[in-house]
Amino acid sequence: MPLRSTATSWGAVTRLFHWGMLLLIIGGISVGLYMTDLPMSPQKLRVYALHKSVGLTLLGLAVLRLLWRLGERRPAAAPMPAWQERAASATHVLLYGLMFAIPLSGWLFNSAAGFPLQWFHLVNLPALVAADPALKVLARTAHGFGVLLLVVISAVHAAAALKHHFIDRDRTLRAMLPLPGDSK
Amino acid sequence: MTLPGRPSILLTVLGSCALAAAPAVAAPLFTAVPAQSSLGFVGTQQGEKFTGAIRDFDARIEYAPDDLATSKLEVAIRLKSMDTKSPDRDQALATADWFDFARFPTATFRTIAIRATPGGPVGDADLTIKGHTKRVAFPFAWKAAAGGATLDARLTLDRLDFGLGAGDWADESMVGRKVDVVVHLTLAATPAKPAKP
Repeated sequence: MPLRSTATSWGAVTRLFHWGMLLLIIGGISVGLYMTDLPMSPQKLRVYALHKSVGLTLLGLAVLRLLWRLGERRPAAAPMPAWQERAASATHVLLYGLMFAIPLSGWLFNSAAGFPLQWFHLVNLPALVAADPALKVLARTAHGFGVLLLVVISAVHAAAALKHHFIDRDRTLRAMLPLPGDSK
Repeated sequence: MTLPGRPSILLTVLGSCALAAAPAVAAPLFTAVPAQSSLGFVGTQQGEKFTGAIRDFDARIEYAPDDLATSKLEVAIRLKSMDTKSPDRDQALATADWFDFARFPTATFRTIAIRATPGGPVGDADLTIKGHTKRVAFPFAWKAAAGGATLDARLTLDRLDFGLGAGDWADESMVGRKVDVVVHLTLAATPAKPAKP
């Protein structure tokens, strides 16, 4: 599989971004759902620290992914009705927006809560704002709704990919699958 | 060596009798002006410093630079007034793992002696937090001012000496052991000793 995308298939770097970030997002959401009800303990702070580190990683990857995408050609889309093309591109814009908005709202929430932010015990990141109880509630709500929206949009995105694969029988899904040997 | 309650009252009573017997030799009394005094600390959480302020404390200072023998510093600190700019952290600090406000609402600081050193006066003081008393050296800077004085000091404590965050919380990568305490007192000279009940 070539590193860069071709006229018919996504390159290895794009596929790695796609599937790698999917795994990290699933991990981040799982940890996020698990951690909030833990009783206060050092273990809770460690689990939160892990969640924040994963979120910061995703934010960094979103930046790199966007830059990479801007410099890449895109495989031609399979023929489809105009409304589907519009829906697909709206979905992609939303997904990219959420890749930024969710970790940033988490960072904002953490800052407004007056908590430290550390990336895997290695680097401390500054607070975006001073502690602010009202903003904390707002940012937390945005973070939660962002995740909810991401799950819904991702489900639409996945359903569309499966429809292309099993009903339209085109190579839309295969062009992105993380499998070698399918990159003609 | 925890001596809460009664013994300190006894000491105060004895002290008052001594002062009543020989008021002329006592160092003058000062009290802190709350609006211009601060008691703060700097801790570390997950590699990042945070500051805390304790708003509610009483400082009773008897001090004369040339009469250290009768000088003493006494501070009572109502821990509930602690604010670390994070309600979540403040809530955690109130629990039994940390300060246990319900059982130990007040921390006390009381000098046993004050000595002159080349770097300035140093108090040897008993600091009691959460029922743990530790003798600490308390170097401070004293500046006379119109109508009073200012006292500035900084000292470093090990939170584990006071049972703060023992057990699971002892992990330093989460919360650092060293805590810097920063004291700035603006003191007003008090003309007469307040009557003891």
